[in-house]
Amino acid sequence: MAEEEKVVDGFRFLPQGLKAWVRTFIPEEDFKGYIPWTPLPKPLSQTTLAIVTSAGISLRSDPPFDMEREKKDPLWGDRSFRAIPRQTTEQEINVNHLHINTRYIKEDMNVIFPMVRMAEFEAEGIIGRLAPTAFSFYGFQWQNTDFLKEAVDPISRRMTTEGVEAVLLTPA
Amino acid sequence: MVLSPTYEFHRAVGIPRSVAIEYPYGRPVGQVGDKEGQREVLLKVLSHLEKAEKPGKVLHLSFVWPEDPKKTAWQPPEMSPLIKFYLEEIKAARQRTSEKEKGR
Repeated sequence: MAEEEKVVDGFRFLPQGLKAWVRTFIPEEDFKGYIPWTPLPKPLSQTTLAIVTSAGISLRSDPPFDMEREKKDPLWGDRSFRAIPRQTTEQEINVNHLHINTRYIKEDMNVIFPMVRMAEFEAEGIIGRLAPTAFSFYGFQWQNTDFLKEAVDPISRRMTTEGVEAVLLTPA
Repeated sequence: MVLSPTYEFHRAVGIPRSVAIEYPYGRPVGQVGDKEGQREVLLKVLSHLEKAEKPGKVLHLSFVWPEDPKKTAWQPPEMSPLIKFYLEEIKAARQRTSEKEKGR
């Protein structure tokens, strides 16, 4: 089937109540504001790509994302981020997230954090380079713009030093 | 570029390049251990990175998750603090939606 023939139903996996509630946050019409745009500067086979996920992945050697505070304060989400070296394996990570079942990511992180798949693409010349560092933050940021300064800014700066030209973001 | 299980959020925030996939939350790239399936999804995602010509463009992928949504067990073992906090609002939203559907 051609991509154009299918329109994804982004609510298909939500129970009825959650579906109705989440829809109250989403406008019926397309976004009318300014959307940043940077054309890909070179072919994908020469491009350095980084992976970012909101799945709450941390190295076992780093502090985990703070779930305990969120349990006490349901509108608060941990605003920190974690750097994850590209050669990291499932045995070296924690996954903390109160809004999804984290079991699958612990079994195979590629289901949302596709480091091994992208390393394969690098070896095959499909992408130019997988960046040395990937990043994870915690995907529950409730109407919170402080996160932009505290996590997105430092992540962006580090990506610049690593020559990142494109980013794949996988929300949990 | 975002690979999103709920691409509709782009209508709220504006995203330069989105790829929509009808997969359960927490597994947008594919099933555990399904290397080939994950590769297929990612190759489509990467193609959008090259081919998208204007901001806001969404590529809809045709992949079909092999399980019924109720059997995917994507939700956390314990109800999230946010859902607990807003449970009455969630129930009310469902009630309003049911009434609208009955009225049609």
